[in-house]
Amino acid sequence: MGLITEKTSLPRIQTVKFILNWGRRYSLWVMNFGLACCAIEFIAASTAKNDFIRLGVIPTAHGPRQADLLVVAGTLTDKMAPALKRVYEQMPDPKYVISFGSCSNCGGPYWDSYSVTKGVDQIVPIDVYVPGCPPRPEALLHGIIELQRKIKDEDIAEKFGGTVQPAVS
Amino acid sequence: MERSSPLSPDEATSRLRAQFGADIVDAAEQHGHTVVTVTRERYHDVCRFVRDEPEFACDYADFTSGVDWGEERGFEVVTHLFSTTHHHNVRVKVVVPYDDAVVPTVSDLWATCDWHERETAEMFGIRFLGHPQPVKLLLSEPFDGHPLRKDFALMTREAKPWPGAVEGEEDEE
Repeated sequence: MGLITEKTSLPRIQTVKFILNWGRRYSLWVMNFGLACCAIEFIAASTAKNDFIRLGVIPTAHGPRQADLLVVAGTLTDKMAPALKRVYEQMPDPKYVISFGSCSNCGGPYWDSYSVTKGVDQIVPIDVYVPGCPPRPEALLHGIIELQRKIKDEDIAEKFGGTVQPAVS
Repeated sequence: MERSSPLSPDEATSRLRAQFGADIVDAAEQHGHTVVTVTRERYHDVCRFVRDEPEFACDYADFTSGVDWGEERGFEVVTHLFSTTHHHNVRVKVVVPYDDAVVPTVSDLWATCDWHERETAEMFGIRFLGHPQPVKLLLSEPFDGHPLRKDFALMTREAKPWPGAVEGEEDEE
């Protein structure tokens, strides 16, 4: 993030920001945190007919450490929640999370269950919510476009400027 | 290979009654399956008999589960057995009091029952005596309570009524 500092002139910042965000939003390596039937819709969205690769979303990152985007697709239980937290924390910044389907949005049909986490946003911050039970692959494409719109206007310096930790000597 | 000769529920019941007498508390037929209710004391013996006796040869345990009939009737533990030789089904049931929910394990007879008994234990609070690993199977470790008991309160429902209720149905609950 050292590209943009307080001394950089404004036009240069705008250009760098545009190029940086343009690159980031069209090369989202995605990690599928598939927990239930929604994961099947995610897979359908990655195959030839819907093909989210044309939006620059590259499926099957080798692991969370190589991923930029986490799609939580399915029913998260309280027992699984620590695993999701761990996967999220393994991902390098900047990272984004799409909550895919009613279960991960709010519990969905398991709203009164004894074991289901009612909303993945209790565990990790969510950027885009995709409603549906399960949502169609097109809905995921729409969610990805919404996320790309969000990334386009993002200011990396603003997002991470205050949280850079000094290196331990 | 042994010849397949399935026992009819009547034959199976009379065979078990001859062996265990009054310890077969109740017998019935459901969907062509033999259903016997036995005393807790002889539950393990009946299971062993049904497994080892060539006429029954129930070598496959399908599932073990529980039923909560409330404080008066207590819990029912159901073990469903099947014979891959004779292709007949036998269900063995035990009724235990609500405040003394202890049943001997049959996981030493069928390894399948190990996990099924662990699930029944955590869901109903029934203790399986002699189980090799009496810990939770599916629920998370800090989970408190037994969710499949009828008196288990779903906190979300306490706070909010079921949103799917249609007019006229609301009074039923």
